[in-house]
Amino acid sequence: MRRPLALLLATLAWAAPSARADEASVRAEVDASRVGVGDQLQVTIVIEGRGAELAGPVAPPPLKNLKVVGGPMQSTQVSFVNGAMTQTLSFTYVLQPLAVGKAEIGAARVRLSSGEKATAPLSVEVVAGHVRAPAQPRNLMEEAFGADPFAALQGRGRARPEPKVVVTAVASRARTHVGEPILITYFMYTQASVASVQSTSAPQYPGFWAEDPEQPKSPQGERTTLGGEGYVRFPIGRKLLFPTRAGSLTIPPATFRVNLARLSVFDQGGAVERSTEPLTVTADPVPAGADASGAVGEFQVAAALDRSSVGLGEAATLRFTVEGSGNLKWVERGPELTIPGARIYPPQVKSDFKVGTDGIRGSKTWEFVIVPETSGALQIPALPFTYFSPAASAVKHAQSAALTLEVQGTGAAGAPSAPLPPPRSAAGTGGLALRSDLDLPGRALPELGARALLVGLGLVLALHGALAGGASWSRRRAAATGRSAPRQSVRRALGDLDQARRGGLSKEQAAALIERTLHGVFGPVDENGAGPAGERERAIREVLQEVQFIRYAPQLGDYSEQISALAARASDVVRRWA
Amino acid sequence: MSARVPVWLFALALSAASAGAQAPPVERFRRAGELVRSGDALGGLAVYRELAAAGLESGSLYWNWAQAASARGEAGEALWAVLRGREVEPGDRSLAREQERLREAANLDPAELAPEPLFALARLGRRFHLDWLALGLALASLGAHALAHRRPALRWPARAAWGAGALALLAAAGPLAGATARPTAVVVRRGAPLLDGASGSAHSIGALRQGEVVPIIERSVDYLRVEDSSGARGWAHRDDVWALERPAAP
Repeated sequence: MRRPLALLLATLAWAAPSARADEASVRAEVDASRVGVGDQLQVTIVIEGRGAELAGPVAPPPLKNLKVVGGPMQSTQVSFVNGAMTQTLSFTYVLQPLAVGKAEIGAARVRLSSGEKATAPLSVEVVAGHVRAPAQPRNLMEEAFGADPFAALQGRGRARPEPKVVVTAVASRARTHVGEPILITYFMYTQASVASVQSTSAPQYPGFWAEDPEQPKSPQGERTTLGGEGYVRFPIGRKLLFPTRAGSLTIPPATFRVNLARLSVFDQGGAVERSTEPLTVTADPVPAGADASGAVGEFQVAAALDRSSVGLGEAATLRFTVEGSGNLKWVERGPELTIPGARIYPPQVKSDFKVGTDGIRGSKTWEFVIVPETSGALQIPALPFTYFSPAASAVKHAQSAALTLEVQGTGAAGAPSAPLPPPRSAAGTGGLALRSDLDLPGRALPELGARALLVGLGLVLALHGALAGGASWSRRRAAATGRSAPRQSVRRALGDLDQARRGGLSKEQAAALIERTLHGVFGPVDENGAGPAGERERAIREVLQEVQFIRYAPQLGDYSEQISALAARASDVVRRWA
Repeated sequence: MSARVPVWLFALALSAASAGAQAPPVERFRRAGELVRSGDALGGLAVYRELAAAGLESGSLYWNWAQAASARGEAGEALWAVLRGREVEPGDRSLAREQERLREAANLDPAELAPEPLFALARLGRRFHLDWLALGLALASLGAHALAHRRPALRWPARAAWGAGALALLAAAGPLAGATARPTAVVVRRGAPLLDGASGSAHSIGALRQGEVVPIIERSVDYLRVEDSSGARGWAHRDDVWALERPAAP
């Protein structure tokens, strides 16, 4: 670390005397040679070279038809090129023209350590009005690094001014009909730089069906004025609303959170909330008739068969399509289809809609399956569709063209023609797949219900607790009477007896283990005890007596088999009586 | 629901006692089908309604009810019948398929038919009798626990008691969670108004979509307070929204 530092100092020491020896140049620059009388311009005095060491302050140049309104702003730039240091000093003044005409910037004199230098004079043309965008007051530090990060600590911070942001809601029209869409567009007017906008809550639209049309992917801003001030306006949301009832309907305010862009690395950005004003829309009623479908808009209807001829007993499909723009999405009532001599199945309805800013455009198709029951030409009547046209402010009746389906009689055609069934409408029921048996569910188990289930589970849990508590109480009581045999000791005792049974111990060790185990499980039991004894006591005593016999038997033979049998017997006693 | 079996047994007994006055339910069901086939869907629906009100509910009854209502263009009533049928017979797959068909025809989103996800858990519990299974497992756990105390030398009863107890809790979770779901109702009338009060003079604040399933928040005499899929809350007349928990429509 010290070596590079020494090298740098050496380099500077070498460069400094050589810099003093070199000549420095001085020049003046303006950022515009033609300005309006309302504009400002900057003149910069640049001192460049290896001998750019000032011997005195830099005074502004003499001015004609100009005055100094800012500066000087000083900047220094040092560069090393091929081991040589070059220093550039700049002094910038902001100038304001005084009148239309010619302006002059005289020679600026600069005193350097190597002598005095002067710049060349400059001339500027001043015209009426403005010829350049109004310049913002420059702050070189803030331009470079943003706001002073220590300003707040030192009490020099400035509160960010309240940004001028306004949101509005605009209806495509103030009067409409029930079922006729209106487009609500939300606009943001801003004079500030905005990072993002979001709705704070889902707006409610009482009295309307609401649909979301396609939103612009990259909204384009436009310059406009609001209240006499200039703003940039962006569309920030759209809603397509269909009134569901007549009368005066109010669209409540919508609130948006506007996140402001960060102006520098030290700026926190910030956010403001803005709400729209409520809007009032008048919805006129639409005439209701017996044949009204409820559709509002502009529609065309068409009908088509998937084939022009079928064999008797085969099926054809009639498609009745309503296409256009309006509230077709909510129209459910299809046409009534009656064809004497044919079986009509209830229609399947298919829809294809696209929500645009002018409404919902698309089509709805009712598909009827027709099964002729007679041969010959089957006349399919024109199917009507009634809707309300807002453009004409009238109910319109449209209908499809009548069609003919040729039914080819085959074997059935030759048969004596059966009497025609009574006319059935599609809304009737000819081909319904009805079930013939009631099939009551054979439910062996009624549903318990949550309450009964909880009670049952609680009861079982209480019984579990009673069992555990009873066992614990029983153990404590047995311990008090010297008959302790806790479950854990029983398991351990069986393990010990198994160890004695497997062998590997001397007869004394095995006998002591069996005896200790039995005493541990059943408490102190005297193998030679007198007095009345139950079956349990007798069994324990017998085992203990044999243990004593084996323990003190002379070492004359192998007792392993007897020890094993005794341990097994002791295990039985423990299993049975513990 | 728990008293349904006794109710329909009682209804069967009543119908048997008055056999001379009224045909057996199965016969009435068949005649209703004939009425619907002959074009008298209203007559058929009236019979289905009577049978359901008498507690004679089955998947077949609600299947036919849905077909008849669908043929009349009453998509909301058809969806109600299908959903009610699935409550009665959760294992009837054809009802599930019919529900999907009706939903598509009504342009409804799947979420609009299932506003209460826990409702599906309750249906699953009914289908597999998880409540009885939980109770049986709990009793088995109790028996194993008792055996573990009686035969301390045996290790498996304690393990079985713990295992059966855990399984019992697992099986009970579905029915118990399902019981916390809010009751729901189906909008059976097109453009049914959503009112700002539970009275005939209340103002309409919107309209409900036919076929949409809405949670019931509150009940009044003739009105239900419901919440539609957009979150709007208001009152709707009982004739316009039919509760799914009831055995029959009003």
